[in-house]
Amino acid sequence: MAISTPPVTRSVTLTIDGREVSAREGVTIWEAARDAGIEIPVLCHDERYDPVGVCRMCVVDVGGRVYAAACVRPVEDGMEVKTTTDDVERQRATLTSLLLADQPATAEDPKQTTTADNELLELVYRYGVEQEGEDAPTPRGELARGEDLSNPVIAVNHDACILCDRCVRACDDIQGNDVIGRAGKGYTARIAFDLDDPMGESSCVTCGECVAACPTGALVNKPIRDVPIRPREDLEQVETVCPYCGVGCALTYNVDRERNAIAYADGREQPGSKGRLCVKGRYGWDYAQSPQRLRTPLIRVDESYPKGPLSTDVKGEGRRRRRKPGGLVDYNEVLPHFREATWDEALDLVARRLTEIHADGGPPAIAGFGSAKCSNEEAYLFQKLIRTAFHTNNVDHCTRLCHASSVAALFEGIGSGAVSTTYGDVINADVAIITGSNATANHPVASSFFKQARRRGTTVIYVDPRASKVADHADIFCQIKPGTDVAFYNALMHELIRTDLVDHDFIESRTSNYEELEKTVAEYTPERAAQICELDADLIRRVARVWGEASAGVIFWGMGISQHTTGTDNARCLIALCSITGNVGRHGTGLHPLRGQNNVQGASDVGLIPMFLPGYQGVEAEDIRDRFEEAWKTELDPERGLTVTEIIGSILEGGVRGMYMMGENPFLSDPNVNKVRKALAALEFLVVQDIFLTETAEFADVILPASSYMEKDGTYTNTDRRVQLGRKVLDAPGDARVDWEIVQEVAQRVGLDWDYDSPREVFDEMAELTTGYGTLSYDNLGPSGKLYPNPDPEHSDGTIVLFTERFNTEDGLAHIVPAEWLPPRELPDDEFPFVLNTGRLLEHWHTGSMTRRSFALDAIEPRAEVYLHPADAANLGLEDGGMARVSSRRGSIELAVKVSHREALGNVFIPFHFREAAANLLTIDAIDPMGKIPEFKFCAVRVEPA
Amino acid sequence: MAATPSTVPGVEARAGKFPGPSLIPALNAIQRRNGWLPREELVQLSREVRRPLYEIEGLISFYPHYRTDPPRSVALHVCGDLSCWLSGSEERIAELRARYGDDVEVELVEVSCLGRCDDAPAVAVDERPAKAAEADELVAAARAGEGSGRAAVRTRDEPWPNDPYAPGEERYRLLRALLRGALDPGEIVAALSDSGLRGMGGAGFPTGKKWELVAGQEATPKYAICNADESEPGTFKDRQIMAEQPHLVLEGLLLGMVVTGAEEGWVFIRHEYGPEEEVLREEIEALRTEGLVGEDAGGSGRRISLEIFTSPGGYILGEESALLECMEGHRGEPRNKPPFPGVYGLWGKPTLMNSVETFAHVPVILERGADWWKAQGANGSTGLKFFAVSGHVERPGVYCVPMGTTGRELLERAGGVRDGGELAAIQPGGASSNFLGPDGLDVPLDFDSLAEAGSMLGSGALTVIAEGTDLLAAATNVLRFFRNESCGKCVPCRVGSHKAHEILTELLESGGGPDDVDERIVQLEETMRLTSICGLGQVALGPVISVVGLKRGGTEARTHPRGEASPEEEGGDPGGDGS
Repeated sequence: MAISTPPVTRSVTLTIDGREVSAREGVTIWEAARDAGIEIPVLCHDERYDPVGVCRMCVVDVGGRVYAAACVRPVEDGMEVKTTTDDVERQRATLTSLLLADQPATAEDPKQTTTADNELLELVYRYGVEQEGEDAPTPRGELARGEDLSNPVIAVNHDACILCDRCVRACDDIQGNDVIGRAGKGYTARIAFDLDDPMGESSCVTCGECVAACPTGALVNKPIRDVPIRPREDLEQVETVCPYCGVGCALTYNVDRERNAIAYADGREQPGSKGRLCVKGRYGWDYAQSPQRLRTPLIRVDESYPKGPLSTDVKGEGRRRRRKPGGLVDYNEVLPHFREATWDEALDLVARRLTEIHADGGPPAIAGFGSAKCSNEEAYLFQKLIRTAFHTNNVDHCTRLCHASSVAALFEGIGSGAVSTTYGDVINADVAIITGSNATANHPVASSFFKQARRRGTTVIYVDPRASKVADHADIFCQIKPGTDVAFYNALMHELIRTDLVDHDFIESRTSNYEELEKTVAEYTPERAAQICELDADLIRRVARVWGEASAGVIFWGMGISQHTTGTDNARCLIALCSITGNVGRHGTGLHPLRGQNNVQGASDVGLIPMFLPGYQGVEAEDIRDRFEEAWKTELDPERGLTVTEIIGSILEGGVRGMYMMGENPFLSDPNVNKVRKALAALEFLVVQDIFLTETAEFADVILPASSYMEKDGTYTNTDRRVQLGRKVLDAPGDARVDWEIVQEVAQRVGLDWDYDSPREVFDEMAELTTGYGTLSYDNLGPSGKLYPNPDPEHSDGTIVLFTERFNTEDGLAHIVPAEWLPPRELPDDEFPFVLNTGRLLEHWHTGSMTRRSFALDAIEPRAEVYLHPADAANLGLEDGGMARVSSRRGSIELAVKVSHREALGNVFIPFHFREAAANLLTIDAIDPMGKIPEFKFCAVRVEPA
Repeated sequence: MAATPSTVPGVEARAGKFPGPSLIPALNAIQRRNGWLPREELVQLSREVRRPLYEIEGLISFYPHYRTDPPRSVALHVCGDLSCWLSGSEERIAELRARYGDDVEVELVEVSCLGRCDDAPAVAVDERPAKAAEADELVAAARAGEGSGRAAVRTRDEPWPNDPYAPGEERYRLLRALLRGALDPGEIVAALSDSGLRGMGGAGFPTGKKWELVAGQEATPKYAICNADESEPGTFKDRQIMAEQPHLVLEGLLLGMVVTGAEEGWVFIRHEYGPEEEVLREEIEALRTEGLVGEDAGGSGRRISLEIFTSPGGYILGEESALLECMEGHRGEPRNKPPFPGVYGLWGKPTLMNSVETFAHVPVILERGADWWKAQGANGSTGLKFFAVSGHVERPGVYCVPMGTTGRELLERAGGVRDGGELAAIQPGGASSNFLGPDGLDVPLDFDSLAEAGSMLGSGALTVIAEGTDLLAAATNVLRFFRNESCGKCVPCRVGSHKAHEILTELLESGGGPDDVDERIVQLEETMRLTSICGLGQVALGPVISVVGLKRGGTEARTHPRGEASPEEEGGDPGGDGS
């Protein structure tokens, strides 16, 4: 279908309230009236959804024996519509009074007493109907349907429900979660979750789209941290962006200034996210208000040297159980090892120690980890500090742990690491492959567009070892064996070539090295791949046919592709697949690695990686270095720096001795925790800048209290290449300071003459040096941000589709790199017979330092679990909710069992958010040779009852 | 790409309607296996077919056929709707409740009209229909494990006047002729148009015009459905037609399929008509054996598939678009119209839908010609008409009379008012038709005359009410039925029918009568009539208002909405099929 040309539409002429109106054929009376400036009241209708015509408030007189619902009735030529006769208005008043009779008393109405925007009550006032009195219908009485308070953040009042079906449509059509429907019949009909289960026990994912849809008090937000929910006009609206994932949804926080707190969040219109949010965005913002925020600089006391981990958990001592399951760093255990200090004292100490180590060990002795959670400006300044003060490129961040291999393959193949099209462009695709991605959990709002596209005709193919919820929304699901991606895609390409479903013109004019690919994949028959992947060969053929015959195909992928020792090869296959079928450079086609962190794209763009200066300009190229040396007025290290995993290794070998960590928690996020523990303890000096006491901070000499996302201005670049403004929402607690200011303080103390007065000033310097950002300025980003590249940011949202004419490589061609399938590094054996896969949960974010301090997210998913196939669980004698011990060659953890039909036999899944059962105690630190990314998605483990 | 709400003007959005096959057969299978629907099996089903749990909940909580707890050993269903109510159901139900209410083996459920108004008050024991007087015997037998046995359909010896086939003669003559090309589809449409045959389900849309409309649609495939879901209190004529003339019903349907180009046809039958369904099944089997239905129907090279769809329950499914929703596997909630089923029907495709009686009249019209048909009417009307007569009448049953026969003549044929009583009122067209007083007996029973008199021909059911009956209570009983059967989709019907029933019940309990019916009811009637999506809500309060009108001298009876059905609004009826 691609971009379809709109069908030729005829126009019809009708009369509305005596006025002649011209309207496009097929539009509804309600739309035609609205366009003519005539408002017709509605309750069930909302332009965000297709009409259902059930509340009947919009009825109009079209001269028939009964009235027509304007929201659903199409206009007809010559139609005479009367929208507000006395007769019509009388029926509306009666309908209003019927609905009002069953509502809670206005003084107790869940909506009116909170946001005070009950749309039914607006009609009540308009029509002057009363809830009590002689003419008022009797209330529901014995048939009262009651409340459901089982969800931690959403209150359901069934009596306030008018069955407008808005929540049903919001849940289905917007979010694709399919949880809410009508149950029962007639007067006893009500909305129900799943099999009429309590909301909190249903499959509801608490995205809150239903709350945003509900016109009455039936579905409302509950207060979080006792911050009362008040009308929007009584609160201050701050338009910003969600702090969590790379989808970068636009939102508005409604801020209670008196309490310096967020009361609630609303989705905000933006071309990408279109006002949608997930549970983290809508309900997970209160971490910033946690009493555990760091408020004062801390310096390790002399008695606590030599350094080492401080808390029982981080020490990993023996079999000692925690006092209680779950939880975060125990402040009581750790804080006595630090003393409070002034900013000056702490910053001076940091500067002195880093300078000393640098003087003694030279540039290789220093390294810095920045964060993909910080703003572009902060990432830019951090890498500039490390590069210009210490003349080393040893600066990296958690991109190494997520898409480093994808980026490596993309650079090699098409000369650019960014996505070639947006997630929303899926609507124009005939077919979409989603692979190695649990998008419904990790990119929930992007996944809502995938689900929506499928309902509009896009064929969704899901390739993944886990049957995640994405599988429920796929037309074809290929549940491959973990670590067999290359074999699968090679066979797919084998079949495409065999059946001549490749795009010869595209191969000829836009790619190079096709012949090599042809040779390599010749060996990968579907039968051979079927054996490797444990899949039906016909399924591979079917996928090849669907993909090959589509006129527009797009691929979305996640960590399941990248976090392997063959991560780069996996991504190479995807690039080759798109290249040989001509699926790049048009709407509905392309390559989209779904970015994890809210600013992993931006942090990489602005140079927070060891091999590139801002704008992916190689550190080894002299002309590039010259340009930056001129701009930064200093000499730069001509060699690539070390990556995250390499830095940990280097510490143990005596290379890196002093480190600055801004917002990273490698103790939990990096593979092989036992090795990381040794490395961190071996550092001569470590300064940790963070908002909470993290596991990594236990090894620090100095801890600097930083600002959370909520407490600063800055820009963030999402997975779509959309650069958006994040705005200060709250004041930072105590003496905590904004990250970029802290970096500048350190810079000034190590001898740099920095004097930035705002993120705006940093942005302008950065944009000039960063490829793609040149046309953007702090002021032209506007309320919904801008995609880069953007030739005309004043008038355009930016470029959706890249590479329409040529790729970013030197010759402009896509360089196809064939790959041979290699097995994962550590295969299961008799001793460790299961394959461990790690990843995230919908409700949690990385090491949990934010999400586990969010009331809603912690309430919904409070504990660590290992997910097992029912048959495996039965064989091991494990029951759902019981405890299991999972061990690998590197460590052992104990956690609860979750029997899950989503796992394949012989595979287990553990989310890595939970320090008390840290999945990364088990994972292997084998890395991909190009992307240097660890193989988080595959290692061998043993599972037994604990 | 499939037609979606956003591409077809007027088609409302999917709310709980998922693409893919209906889950109703799978749910039926689970219930057959267990006698009920265990949660684990529902969760399993949801996972296997990848459809949301709420969709399943929406279905099982909507259709009375489904249950989520294990049944007791004997199911005793009792009816208290109008005809049964007129025959003392309240007392009988009270007796049965006293006897079985605490019985752990017997589940006594008050259900909506069983369609056995000629056996009023009616019951069903383990789905076997019977008179209430037989309840004890059947319950005892069922309890003893002897089963309730099968009820035989009621038949009579003399053929009905609309049957062109003499006893023993080879049937399906017209179908055979059409299949071998000896009969032209155009001629059939012309004959039906000339005959003036109108839909016998309620709204009276011209049958020839409907067939022509569907035949002229370009979209394929097309479908044809015989609406055998008559469920309105007092209405059971289709039941008898199916019992006695299955060959005419099916021939009419098959002719319609060939004429319109539909390959797949269904008879959608209410599940309470088990014995009659059996008759149809046997007839369809015979058609298959004979090759008139199948891959190469009658050697024509044309594929004709014919199936029975047993309703999972609910009067609302008689509304044609609710019926379609049910067949698609959704909650049986009527659609906003237009578009109508002839254009956008089952699965969004052109669908021919007529009721049992309409189809049953087609063969004789084609056999004997439009003029013959027209000549069968009386008092200026055309054709024949089946009526179900029940209530306070000597010989309740089904009668086939000339269209235009007066109520008085029909009442006489049925033996007059029971026990020689005086007539208080009639409902000439089923529960949704307005009450007429004794002076209404001389109105010819046809579409136009009844509409003019302020009532309607409706579902072809004459309910007779004798003097001594509280007419307001009778009308409130009718309202109760509509309230019980409201699907709940739209506000006026869902809430209005309930509130109105509360007000009237209170009024009756306090000894009030028609004079005490206040403005609230009058206003609710207007709102429900003008704003409800379908005929159920539009007519629910009509009878009540007509009783008030009667009391005030018959002058204030409102014109019944259905009586005015214009061709553009063919689908505005509740129990009938609008055809």
